[in-house]
Amino acid sequence: MGMTYIPSTLSEALHLRAETGARPLAGGTDMMVQSKRGIGLAPEFPYPVMIISGLEELRGITKHEDGSVEIGALASPAEIAASDIVPWHVRMAAAGMGAVALRNSATIGGNIGNASPKGDLPQPLILLDADVILVSLRGETKMKLDDFILGSKKTALKDDEIIRSVIIPPHEFTYSFYRKIGMRRANAISKLSLSAAAVVRDGEILDFRAASGASGPKVIRSYSAEAIIRGRRVEDIPEVLDGFLEAWNAAISPHAMPQYRRNTTRRMLSHFLSSIHDGAEAGIIS
Amino acid sequence: MVSRIEFSVNGRKTVFSGNPLTRLIDVLREDLSLTGVKEGCGEGECGACSVIKDGRLVTSCIIPVGAVNGSEILTIEGIRDTDKGRCLVDAFAEGGAVQCGFCIPGMVMAAYALLSSNPNPSEEDIRRGISGNICRCTGYDLIVESIKLAVRKGGDLWA
Repeated sequence: MGMTYIPSTLSEALHLRAETGARPLAGGTDMMVQSKRGIGLAPEFPYPVMIISGLEELRGITKHEDGSVEIGALASPAEIAASDIVPWHVRMAAAGMGAVALRNSATIGGNIGNASPKGDLPQPLILLDADVILVSLRGETKMKLDDFILGSKKTALKDDEIIRSVIIPPHEFTYSFYRKIGMRRANAISKLSLSAAAVVRDGEILDFRAASGASGPKVIRSYSAEAIIRGRRVEDIPEVLDGFLEAWNAAISPHAMPQYRRNTTRRMLSHFLSSIHDGAEAGIIS
Repeated sequence: MVSRIEFSVNGRKTVFSGNPLTRLIDVLREDLSLTGVKEGCGEGECGACSVIKDGRLVTSCIIPVGAVNGSEILTIEGIRDTDKGRCLVDAFAEGGAVQCGFCIPGMVMAAYALLSSNPNPSEEDIRRGISGNICRCTGYDLIVESIKLAVRKGGDLWA
């Protein structure tokens, strides 16, 4: 059983991380459950742990001058869902996590660091090309979240690094879509989730992206499939739709109930693109 | 490892010395004898162990005590003698919200957190507010009705 530390500043936490390799524990909604031992017993971890929930340096949600939004690693889904500066896709995902108490305890840093294929926040963040800021005694590193999450429960986090924040670059979409499919409306782990967005000007699709959650070992964006749609005209959507859906289907790799996940993903993407083709009003496609 | 953690429970200062990974629920129940805090699933899913930490509803079974240094914790024992708490408890009794009762302390805490931030909730708001609290007896309807009753009877109390 490893030691447990409670650093009171980020600098102290970085020293502990570098010297002992202690893993950060914030909300505990994943780690405390994974290592639980039962009534009256404290969880045990086979590695040293540091409780970082008190670190002020990792709090807060800020809008920068360039329009990007930075979310501190300790921001909870409740704070994220209630923030009017956080982009819509991310607020939707945060609002759909667990139930009230979980949304008050969990953290964005934990949701990313745990890298569960069913984690709700990485999906919209990867759609929005978010960066993750990693900090260590060596300094700060900025990295695309899509590159940081390597696979199921695997990240590129180094032994001396801590997730400090997530930065979402500015964007303005003409059309947005978000859907989480779970067994219930509360306390549901995602069976499947999808975000999509498009920028359309004068009939031309200037930007198009999608991100599939719970459809493979990590969130899936297929940049080559997106390129089939990007740059086309709205009236050409029917012509390229099948090819796009085919390419997206080839990119995802759902491990269980693959027919269901593939079919539902196809239907959601088709619905989003057909709505654009059919002249849907700009805004949220529901 | 032994840590010294200071926090307040129901307005009273508490000092915990011991393993900081000890679950908050165990400190509340075993050390402080606050047995109104119930353990159901032990995984933060059922809401029976709900308490309010710094004004927000949390499940005490998945919070290490090391994470509550400097926090204010409110349990069912801390609200039952307040006007708001009495209003809720009376409404639950009058509305017939309680069958076996195991989920009720958590339900009352969830309702307390909801009404404290939203004094005039819709039925949808109420159902959402207690969506993390599982009851295996009632089918929820009488609990929802009782929370509506607390809203009506409490009036300005919640504003």
